[in-house]
Amino acid sequence: MDKNIYIVKSTEIFDAIVVGSGITGGWAAKELTEKGLKTLMVERGRPVEHRKDYVGEGVKPWQMPFRGQIEKAIVDEQHYVQKKCYAFNDATKHFFGNDKDYPYSTPKDKPFDWIRGNQLGGKSLLWHRQSYRWSEQDFTANAADGLGVDWPIRYKDVEKWYDYVEIHAGISGSVENNPALPDSKFLPPFEMNAVEKEMKTRIEKKWTTRKLIMGRTAHLSVPAPHHTAQGRIQCQARNECQKGCSFGAYFSTQSSTLPSALATNNLTIATNSIVHSVIYDPKTNRATGVRVIDTETMATREYFAKVIFLCASTLGTTQIMLNSVSESFPTGIANSSGALGHYLMDHLYGAGATGRVEGFEEEYYSGRRPTGLVMPRFTNYSEKNPNFLRGYQLTGSAMREGWDAFSQRDGFGADYKAAIRSAGSWHFSLGGSGEMLPRYENQVSLHPTLKDKWGMPQLHIDCAYTENDWKMMDDIANTCADILETIGVKDVEKHIRAKTGEWAPGLSIHEMGTARMGKDPKTSVLNGWNQAHDIPNLFVTDGASMASCASQNPSLTYMALTARAADYAVQQLKLGKI
Amino acid sequence: MIHSALPNSSTGVSRRAALKQLALACGLVLSASSLSALAASVTPPTDLTRSKKTLLNTDQLALLRELGDIIIPTTDTPGASAAGVHDFINHFAIYCASKEEQQGLVAGLKRIDDSAQTRFSKPFLSASKTRQIELLTNMEQAADGFTADDRAFFKQLKALVTFGYYTSEIGASQELAYLTIPGGYKGNFKFKQVGRAWALPQ
Repeated sequence: MDKNIYIVKSTEIFDAIVVGSGITGGWAAKELTEKGLKTLMVERGRPVEHRKDYVGEGVKPWQMPFRGQIEKAIVDEQHYVQKKCYAFNDATKHFFGNDKDYPYSTPKDKPFDWIRGNQLGGKSLLWHRQSYRWSEQDFTANAADGLGVDWPIRYKDVEKWYDYVEIHAGISGSVENNPALPDSKFLPPFEMNAVEKEMKTRIEKKWTTRKLIMGRTAHLSVPAPHHTAQGRIQCQARNECQKGCSFGAYFSTQSSTLPSALATNNLTIATNSIVHSVIYDPKTNRATGVRVIDTETMATREYFAKVIFLCASTLGTTQIMLNSVSESFPTGIANSSGALGHYLMDHLYGAGATGRVEGFEEEYYSGRRPTGLVMPRFTNYSEKNPNFLRGYQLTGSAMREGWDAFSQRDGFGADYKAAIRSAGSWHFSLGGSGEMLPRYENQVSLHPTLKDKWGMPQLHIDCAYTENDWKMMDDIANTCADILETIGVKDVEKHIRAKTGEWAPGLSIHEMGTARMGKDPKTSVLNGWNQAHDIPNLFVTDGASMASCASQNPSLTYMALTARAADYAVQQLKLGKI
Repeated sequence: MIHSALPNSSTGVSRRAALKQLALACGLVLSASSLSALAASVTPPTDLTRSKKTLLNTDQLALLRELGDIIIPTTDTPGASAAGVHDFINHFAIYCASKEEQQGLVAGLKRIDDSAQTRFSKPFLSASKTRQIELLTNMEQAADGFTADDRAFFKQLKALVTFGYYTSEIGASQELAYLTIPGGYKGNFKFKQVGRAWALPQ
């Protein structure tokens, strides 16, 4: 990477500053630079260079001292929250935020697991790549039941931006014409295995409202020419994405948006730069720049620009905004509504069922598919579920048991070893992703006294499941079990991990809200362009902007909103409006 | 980020060369700059510098070695001891297990040896293979004086042994099948095309 694009101090007044370099920061940088703006991307963490810094990639289990596990003392001291993430292991831990360096607090009885990246690329290196469009019904959910505030946009406002980001990123999936889950611009879908095809047949024969389809994922199943031109190669089905992928086969800042931004020669990057606050000029009513703390020297500096995009992750962005206090905004920048920090949501995960599928002993698969299947939402859409508000989608897959399943079973010796070699029985599982209602009480604030080692006030996260969430999770588990039993799956077991304390809010890693969009400046922070109602050159396009959370994995929607907002911001800049 | 170089002699083909071979095998046309950028200067972070603390003494280790070979014996592929499972567990337990788990392992090994003394009037390692297997079978079933706790310990022991074996090079790539770079996902695939279970979960 050209060292000249990295800066420390600068007196330049940039056209735009983008805070954050993850899913949305990368897109904002790409769009703004491609539209001619001299753009500074400010990242709190260290640089991570595509390929070169993927130190865990391709390392075999026996090449790691603990076969992928990590020394307990290190985990207990530095990763006591991050360790809960399914993707956290010895080969990926360097891409997760350090819990010791970045502590936060919660009320004693309301745990929240905040899973973070902390390097160039952010969580775009770690995400699960599941990519789904919202439907019109998702955008009208708040209006329909009166909870939260009505979205200031509808599906038609975002549709062409979904097209746009999907084509660039590369989204694999199948055309289904399902109104609950609009189709994307797709690369070919990954294949189902024999058991999944059979499960699909049985489910869809029994229920016309329930479709089991291939998951939609930001992987190059077959790269398009523009992907190849970026040096991105077909997905090799290693399913070790979080270690980094030198093939560039999944979407990340490093593989996809950063190369585009760099190609414009309009991008500058400041790493190891924690944004302390946004600088506000009350005379002009503009955000004029950001105050930064250097992570290595503790020195402070400022960067200035005409437009500011906050893309620092849902809670990262809101922490900055809450910390940006002034006479005009004593409770946080652009917070005349008082909504900043409130209406935090996460998806309801950890509920579902699994069971054994008899037969199919001759069937197997080759490769480690980086996506499961999805059953688009039918609850309170095509089916009526009066027990709870809103609804959920399901995901799942069929696999044959591996050696780890046998380790829990009786037996040892030559026969046992042979049984493991023969591969175990097939299992089919389904689990939910449920919509949490937007509630004022689910909120974040700055801790009154506790700060991290750089002097940034810590966040205090106060978020809990409530009645609708518990009812929905019950329904997810019961419905999944019912589906499995109905189609002949044996030994069906259901689970609700939130009930056993194994799945606190936050662990789904879809935390959203706290700087919501809305029509009314009195009750929302952002307008329909992700533009702060109060300050026209301040934009927030990451998960903080979400007014409700639907049930789909959100990153694709964040990408579309970012590209759309960047387009608007540049237009406004050219018109002299901001 | 601290990482150590892996001695080339033990890895054979370097990562960069493997990726290049794969790309060509897949018929992928890569520009020279893409190829050279692939796996440019990465060395796997295999730890050779973490200090070699261990949990077990010589006798305990010898017992663990034998237990490993009973659980996963040599068949047409090497068993647990050939795969170094006992040494791995010894090193793994001191770094990754809690104090309670470490104590549990040591106590469980003692329980096995004491049980052999009680039943056969000799240490476990001196008992015949038949008697060793009979003892462990009873332990696993919580039968013949063994308790539910004993059954639970044996499960833990087996979990450690299978983990150490099936993540070893022998266990993962000889006994089972291991593809570093599968080349894609095939859903229409018969078990007999590979003939043995995959080492890594999907």
